[in-house]
Amino acid sequence: MTNKKGIARLLEIAGEKRGLMIVSGLLSSLSAICMLVPYASVYFILKELLEHAASPALADGAKMIRFGVIALLGFAVGLITMYAGGMASHIAAFRILYGLRIKLSGHIGKLPLGWLTGKSTGAVKKTLEHSVEKVETFIAHQLPDLVHVAVTTLLMIAVMFTLNVWLAIACIVPIVLGFAVQIALISGSVTKENLKRCYDSLERMNASAVQYVRGMPAVKVFGQTVQSFRQFHQDMIRYRDYGVKLTDQFQYGSLIFKVILGSLAAFILPVGVFLLSRDPGSVAFASVLLFFLVMAPGISAPMFKIMFLAETIRDINEGVERIDRILAEPHVPEPEHPSRPTSFDVTFDHVFFSYGSEHADTDALADISFTARQGEVTALVGPSGAGKSTIANLVPRFWNVNTGSIRIGDVDIREIATPDLMNTVAFVFQESFLFYDTVYNNIAVGRPDAPPEDVYAAAKAAQCHAFIEDLPLGYDTLIGEGGVYLSGGEEQRIAVARAILKNAPILVLDEATAFADPENEHEMQLALKTLMKNKTVIVIAHRLSTIRDAEQILVMDSGRIVERGRHEGLLSAGGLYGRMWNSYRQAAAWHMGKGEVDAEHEHAAQHYGG
Amino acid sequence: MNMLRSITADNPRSLVKPVFYTTIANLAGIIPFALLVEAARLIFNPFVHPDIPLDTARLWWVCGGLAASLVLLFVCEIPAYRAQYRDAYGAAANGRSRLAEHLRKLSLGYLNKRDPGDLANMITGDFAMLEHGISHLVPQMIGAVVMPVLALIGLSFLDWRLALSLFAAMPLAILLVFLTSGIQRKLGSQHMRAKIDAGGRLQEYLNGIRVIKAYNLTGERFVRLESSFRELMRQSIRLEGIVGPIVLSAIACIRGGLTLMVMAGVHLLLGGSLDVITFVAFLIIGTRIFDPLMTALAGYAELRYLEQAGGRIVQLLREPVMQGERLPPANHDVELKQVTFGYMDQQVLREVSLSMPAGSFTALVGPSGSGKSTILRLIARFYDPDKGTVIMGGEDIRAMDPEALLHKVSMVFQDVYLFQDTIAGNIRFGRKDATREEIEEAARLACCHDFILKLPQGYDTMVGEGGSTLSGGEKQRISIARAMLKNAPIILLDEATASLDPENEAEIQKAIDRLVRGRTVIVVAHRLKTVQHADRIVVMDHGQIVEQGRHDELLSSNGLYARLWSRQHSPQQPDIFPDHRP
Repeated sequence: MTNKKGIARLLEIAGEKRGLMIVSGLLSSLSAICMLVPYASVYFILKELLEHAASPALADGAKMIRFGVIALLGFAVGLITMYAGGMASHIAAFRILYGLRIKLSGHIGKLPLGWLTGKSTGAVKKTLEHSVEKVETFIAHQLPDLVHVAVTTLLMIAVMFTLNVWLAIACIVPIVLGFAVQIALISGSVTKENLKRCYDSLERMNASAVQYVRGMPAVKVFGQTVQSFRQFHQDMIRYRDYGVKLTDQFQYGSLIFKVILGSLAAFILPVGVFLLSRDPGSVAFASVLLFFLVMAPGISAPMFKIMFLAETIRDINEGVERIDRILAEPHVPEPEHPSRPTSFDVTFDHVFFSYGSEHADTDALADISFTARQGEVTALVGPSGAGKSTIANLVPRFWNVNTGSIRIGDVDIREIATPDLMNTVAFVFQESFLFYDTVYNNIAVGRPDAPPEDVYAAAKAAQCHAFIEDLPLGYDTLIGEGGVYLSGGEEQRIAVARAILKNAPILVLDEATAFADPENEHEMQLALKTLMKNKTVIVIAHRLSTIRDAEQILVMDSGRIVERGRHEGLLSAGGLYGRMWNSYRQAAAWHMGKGEVDAEHEHAAQHYGG
Repeated sequence: MNMLRSITADNPRSLVKPVFYTTIANLAGIIPFALLVEAARLIFNPFVHPDIPLDTARLWWVCGGLAASLVLLFVCEIPAYRAQYRDAYGAAANGRSRLAEHLRKLSLGYLNKRDPGDLANMITGDFAMLEHGISHLVPQMIGAVVMPVLALIGLSFLDWRLALSLFAAMPLAILLVFLTSGIQRKLGSQHMRAKIDAGGRLQEYLNGIRVIKAYNLTGERFVRLESSFRELMRQSIRLEGIVGPIVLSAIACIRGGLTLMVMAGVHLLLGGSLDVITFVAFLIIGTRIFDPLMTALAGYAELRYLEQAGGRIVQLLREPVMQGERLPPANHDVELKQVTFGYMDQQVLREVSLSMPAGSFTALVGPSGSGKSTILRLIARFYDPDKGTVIMGGEDIRAMDPEALLHKVSMVFQDVYLFQDTIAGNIRFGRKDATREEIEEAARLACCHDFILKLPQGYDTMVGEGGSTLSGGEKQRISIARAMLKNAPIILLDEATASLDPENEAEIQKAIDRLVRGRTVIVVAHRLKTVQHADRIVVMDHGQIVEQGRHDELLSSNGLYARLWSRQHSPQQPDIFPDHRP
């Protein structure tokens, strides 16, 4: 990873398409030169006219028409080269954009899972969409523009000085002056202060807009949209006020710049008149003066283009920084000499783990050791926040452990190549995620090369065949975004079908039946039973009844395993598991009533407590 | 006109001021130009008429005039600048608050359907673009069109033949742009589609990253994302590549006028029917007259883009707001009459009629997708029914102010949104004027007091985005505390306690029992046992009510309910392991 910043970093990014960029630069230069041809042609025509002013009939008509045509040709070639150069830079830019997006999304895929869950996907999405586009602005527009301006300016200055030094100075001094005023204003400390304030209030307004929109449903429910609106309105007004203040500050500076650059003739003419009055009859000088008067706009026009350069560059820098911040995030390292497990017991060996640095003081997992054997079910139970899901997420290496190790068979999972590891473990997560795609493809994700019969078999095994057949287009029905929305239970069964199709030797179930409704739940259990045969199964369950017969129950609390054993043993030990079992039975017996509820609760607790 | 409407987010009047002042400034810009032409005439004069000497005094006057025009320009530019930049902030702020205000009145159903990130971006990002368009781009473009037209009129007086030749190619350019606008629009919308698609795929990638990782599909291997990025690249290049030549040929056409003018001028000059000075004036003006037009054409693409962004905003502003001003009546009987409802083309409820008297306890049960939750949403007026009516206290709720109606209803749903605020602040959302004691009392009743005290700053702990994280069960209890404080007569409940650990679950149950006491309760239940004591159990299937009655009645009638019940309570229920559920 490089540590270059700003423009240097941008050029580095652009350098990935060096050839195209050079072509674009050359074409832009050529275009800049050609664009000056019409001005020059007009000058030559004027000169011809001056020479024969007294008797116009003697002027060389063919020559003047030739210059007229040259002006058009020059302009046309200028346009064509501008287009060609623009295309070169645009193609380069769009390719770089594409490359950056692929690189970023690939990189994100390799990052520990915690990175993405730790921040809003909105911010990441914004980086991949908007920040990346800022790079496009620079490469496709700003860079060729810069070349264009530079070539035009240099060429013009050279020509001007060759023609007449004094007029050239009269032309350049105001330009320099205009820029000086501009720069002095922008770099002033008050300006910087105000700029920062303006940006801060903008950021604040953006954040409050997000909060406003996101919270709207909840705010509405409590009938407080007016307050919420008022808050957002305040931030909006604050941004407006800072913005106005800032523009007020820039007012005179940018107006001076604009007026001066737009009326260079006002500076050239007095010098010209002075010189002309000393040598009134000179055709040569008169034509040079006319040249300056006609050409002046040729030099100032492109300058307007770069007037906002400072601002855009600041914008771009910010975008590049965001991109680099993602790219600088270290990804989960791949083993140098990967090996593959041959047996599939899962062993945690004195594992300590914490999420990120903020939680450094509290380990999410502390000294976890257990072995989940092949062909057996290992169940994780405990209060929420005890670390059950963390264990499940460590097996596929979504995070790396701090100390200790996790082994599959005899192989440390850090020694297994990610694709191999993923092929070894199948998951059914708490919230099932379906792609915006057909039902068929959503199942086939489990094993993309599976023949259709296997996909249908998996769907049948997961008890989803029947409801899929009921969908408008059966297996070809699109899910989500204008397609069909499935219920939570149906989505989950599709996720199970995926896992069945994958048929990996290790199965991790995270609260897999949480959202199933009664009808589905029954079918889900059947599906899971099929799936679990002869596998190493790690299951996180809240409904304790579902894991009563598990070969091993690990009871977790505050990141530690506090009890372990089988159901009966744990019950008779009378610890946390016993307490949980009691409240579980109490909760399962609950029914909503009206009146004297608390008494009823006490009663239930007593009843099941014994 | 439509375009202007889009660009200004449905407020074309906001253009008047910037356009007016920009035009004034542009007109002032003609003065130094005229002086320049005069200077050229004076310089030329002694060469045309060798007997007349160079009029230096007049030239100095012209210099003075130029200097004065600098000041004049500066003065004229001030209001233009203020209208362009300064007022833009005001215009954008007004537009933003209009949009935010509108958003507030939209149906909850609509808001839930939209991606909040997208909406927020409309309020901030899209408006920032419009800000630029209103204040800057449009006035500039209008100036760019007005100037050449004025010049054409002025030059016609000087010499109509040259003026005509200078502008002869202009109609061709306009025709070209006009004829190809269809292609441009098509390409533009294709590009937009590719962009939206890439955004959608990216969102999917980020949301599903865990599954994508688990199935070895990260980065390039996630073909759908890769191909959407590739398509976006292809469309971007295509748009640039095809629209570019159109714009550039239009420019070339316009610029070709200069050459035509030179040809005509030379011809007339040699023929003796044109004097040199006029020709010179035309030459000088001809080289510069089209400069503003060039800038305008460069801004054309941006304008198209603005049009699309603005169009989206206009569309949102046109989205019908929830109607109704009446206050809900004091009587809280709720009734559905022949209600039919669907999301887009998916019909969810078909002619459902159901009455829930005040103080009653109604349970909705049935397979998933049968329309249970939709009934709750219709009662809270997230949506209005397609056919039929929802009635409260004998009146159609469509006539009632949606927010006033929501004051009558408390909802405890699965997804709880916590504001970026303290715990106390979050509970206070139930009733804004609640005292600290009332908040703590509500928290106690909702079984949150104990866990709140364990938080670092107790009731003053920040939660929500960037704040302390709470478990699902804790969040749910906070939402119950809110509802306690709100003290609404109707409770809508979506029972979803399945994903919680037993201890949490028991606490929530206790909290719910306290919440529902003495109120009208309508609950979507997954576990039939929970609601066996309901006054009425409504069994739904495929968007219709198939059975209703009390628990015993339904059991004895041996229908769908009886089947569901036995499935949940048969002793041989095939759980993962043989279950002995109480």
